[in-house]
Amino acid sequence: MIKDLTLPDLGEGIDGAEVSEITVSVGDRVTAEDTVLVLESDKASMEIPAEATGEIQKILVSVGDLIKTGQKLLTIDSVDSKTKEKETPLKIEKPRETKEEKKKKEKEPLELETLKTGSTENVFASPGVRRLARELNINLQIIKGTGVKGRITKDDLNGYIKLKMMMVSAGPSQSQPDIDFSQWGETEVQKLTKIQKITGQRLQRAWQNIPHVTQFDEADITSLDSFRKKLKKKAERKGIKVTFLPFLIKAITKTLKEFPVFNSSLDSSGQNLVLKNYINIGVAVDTSAGLIVPVIKEADNKSIIELSEELTDLSARARKKRLKPKELMGGTFTISSLGGIGGRFFTPIVNPPEVAILGVSRSFLDNMSVLKLPFSLSYDHRVIDGAAAASFTTKLSEILFSTAFFEDKEYE
Amino acid sequence: MNKTSHVDIVVLGAGPGGYASAFRAADLGKKVVLIDRDAELGGVCLNRGCIPSKALLHISKVIEEASALSKMGVTFNEPSIDLEVVRKHKNRIVKQLNGGIAKMAQARKVETKQGLATFLSNKELSVKTENQTEVITFNKCIIATGSSSLMIPGFPKNHPSILTSKTALDLIDIPKNLLVIGGGVIGLELGQVYAALGSSVSIVEFLPNLVPGADPDIIKPLERKLKKQFESIMLSSKVIKVEPQQGNNLEVTIENDKGVKKNLYNKVLVAVGRKPNTNLLNLDATEIKVDDAGFIEVDVYQRTSVKNIFAIGDIAGNPMLAHKATHEGKVAAEVASGHPAAMDSRAIPSVIYTDPEVAWAGLTEIEAKKREIPYEKGEFPWAASGRAIAVGANQGKTKILFDPNTKQTLGVGIVGPSAGDIISEGVLAIEMGADASDIGLTVHPHPTLGETFGLAAEAYEGTITDLYVSKK
Repeated sequence: MIKDLTLPDLGEGIDGAEVSEITVSVGDRVTAEDTVLVLESDKASMEIPAEATGEIQKILVSVGDLIKTGQKLLTIDSVDSKTKEKETPLKIEKPRETKEEKKKKEKEPLELETLKTGSTENVFASPGVRRLARELNINLQIIKGTGVKGRITKDDLNGYIKLKMMMVSAGPSQSQPDIDFSQWGETEVQKLTKIQKITGQRLQRAWQNIPHVTQFDEADITSLDSFRKKLKKKAERKGIKVTFLPFLIKAITKTLKEFPVFNSSLDSSGQNLVLKNYINIGVAVDTSAGLIVPVIKEADNKSIIELSEELTDLSARARKKRLKPKELMGGTFTISSLGGIGGRFFTPIVNPPEVAILGVSRSFLDNMSVLKLPFSLSYDHRVIDGAAAASFTTKLSEILFSTAFFEDKEYE
Repeated sequence: MNKTSHVDIVVLGAGPGGYASAFRAADLGKKVVLIDRDAELGGVCLNRGCIPSKALLHISKVIEEASALSKMGVTFNEPSIDLEVVRKHKNRIVKQLNGGIAKMAQARKVETKQGLATFLSNKELSVKTENQTEVITFNKCIIATGSSSLMIPGFPKNHPSILTSKTALDLIDIPKNLLVIGGGVIGLELGQVYAALGSSVSIVEFLPNLVPGADPDIIKPLERKLKKQFESIMLSSKVIKVEPQQGNNLEVTIENDKGVKKNLYNKVLVAVGRKPNTNLLNLDATEIKVDDAGFIEVDVYQRTSVKNIFAIGDIAGNPMLAHKATHEGKVAAEVASGHPAAMDSRAIPSVIYTDPEVAWAGLTEIEAKKREIPYEKGEFPWAASGRAIAVGANQGKTKILFDPNTKQTLGVGIVGPSAGDIISEGVLAIEMGADASDIGLTVHPHPTLGETFGLAAEAYEGTITDLYVSKK
């Protein structure tokens, strides 16, 4: 039986993702769990499994295509049917194009580079829509029709273009001058990863749109650190690694409860503040592909041990690109920790639509043998004023100073 | 001395495909030169093909209908035919259309040239006109030089009694006996014209069916009619010899499984197919690739293997039909002008303009069976159509092939008067991906022959009330 693989729901808000890699080709045999496609949405990179065991019959998308939830990606001739119709005629496999050949093809002269919109065979679209798709350089195989009986309409093409434009308009507004650096010595070109590109666009937008102020402070964590060491030993027996980060997350949740404005967002009109009655903490994780911010949901309701486990899991999966889009969304406040590396203070950039971010550096012993944690709070000055920020950092320092808050919560 | 000039786009051949590309390119702002070896524009289709044959088929149809009226109580005298006037009438129609094209070319500032063009390289042409030979260099070239009638090797050359479709349309006289070699579209159409004008027509076809590409069920009603009109229809038969006899007659030796037979005919019309005019272009001077059948190879953008040279119409492959050439011509013109067009038509309709007409488009049952494509069909026999009965067309039939899963239209076959007009709705249905209910739920006017298309879909859907279809 021929089974269609469609793009599953990627979670709240995401209705499009870009195909970054196709790991199979027509004729390949796959099992249900095999990855067939790698997609990249805003920040997540996700692998789409085959869902059925069998032979890849048709691949309907290509790298770079923007695809939508519910869209057909490929068809698999699944095994149970294979056994039935054993006498299928000899299959002639088309030799796969090498990358060079493909490049050569694409570089064909004449003004026809635009004419790569793919086959319109088996597409449910009228001749006029097919023509428009060619003019707009849209591959109809990847468009999901919203017309009667799933017909692709001109509106579907317009919608696709809008989506594409939204992604493009996030790009840097000013281009760099084209400088030939090799005139001064040897150079090497390294491509930015997809995540780096998107992060760059988002940071630039945040930097340009949000009036940033950064408040610096230090907390005395001498006693908290020895408390942590005790807990760490206990937890190690269970195979759980307790770092300082879960304590910081707990402390932040408590501070946020007292200063709810730090746990808010401006609405799109810029006229209202949306205060959130939940606390989801994003934690910036550095991966080989770039910066990823998984979100710990309802961090205020979780114990240090629970947080530790979740952090270990999330950061491991972030590095393997195995996070689900859901796990990257819904944050209300972000922590960026450089504690393991060094430095004293830095000015983190707010992660919109959040309004504040905490940057944590490496703790150090001062000349009084007090263990100090330097941290920086960047905030959106449209929402938060300086006095509130100073009170916030003071409160945070207070919470981190004693172990009371943590002992209370930690029965484990 | 040779004159050299440079043009943006040069179009070779002013047939329906050629002038369409030239005009389209001009409308897109290009400077275009249109070259044809004939003085008159319009190519085979207009001058010695589709149009003159339709003028004559109209006459033969009216003659036929007039005689059929006797059954309805109206009797005419035997028609007297003034061939001279018939010829003039046909030529006037052709001339009127020629003039129309020339005027449109003028209005678009498309320069037309009469001459024989041959390639010098991938970028140059030599054009031999009446008085001189000039060299034209071009940015883009669109080849639309069409096809010509295939002759059977070994036949007497230039014999006045051996006709091609072109000379048959000249209508020199009405032979008493005419043998048509080839039971394809052209043979049947011209055979019917001559039969109506008074010839005793025989047809010989090498294959076991007339019009081998079409489904037998839609050819059958035509075949029944032709059997009455023609002296004989010889299928699975081969002409092995044609010998000139006294008085410009021809003795033809025909072989089939029953044996070998010799017959004497006044004239023989050879209509065994057409061949692309590839060899007249000196393509060796270019890097254009030609396939084994002599067609120029093109991609969906109508580009040849030389990317600034396009080919369209008969010379670029089957089916050799004017309406296919027109569409390809426009695609070539648009791509050559930098627009992202492509030939992605899902169906190209074929029509035999005989009486009754036969038309089909998209998937045929023959092809579906050959390629193991699953299909289901809806059929409506015209014997159940009030209008068809009223006009004596109850032999007709409309059938639609549907995809069993999506119920979308895959193919259409129609036989009966005006089948060639009714088929357009079928082609639109295929292009639009219309399914059986879309067609059945579309209100068709009653009583018309066109409504049989809606009824065929209803028959498939089981919603028809003009027929009784027993439940499965």
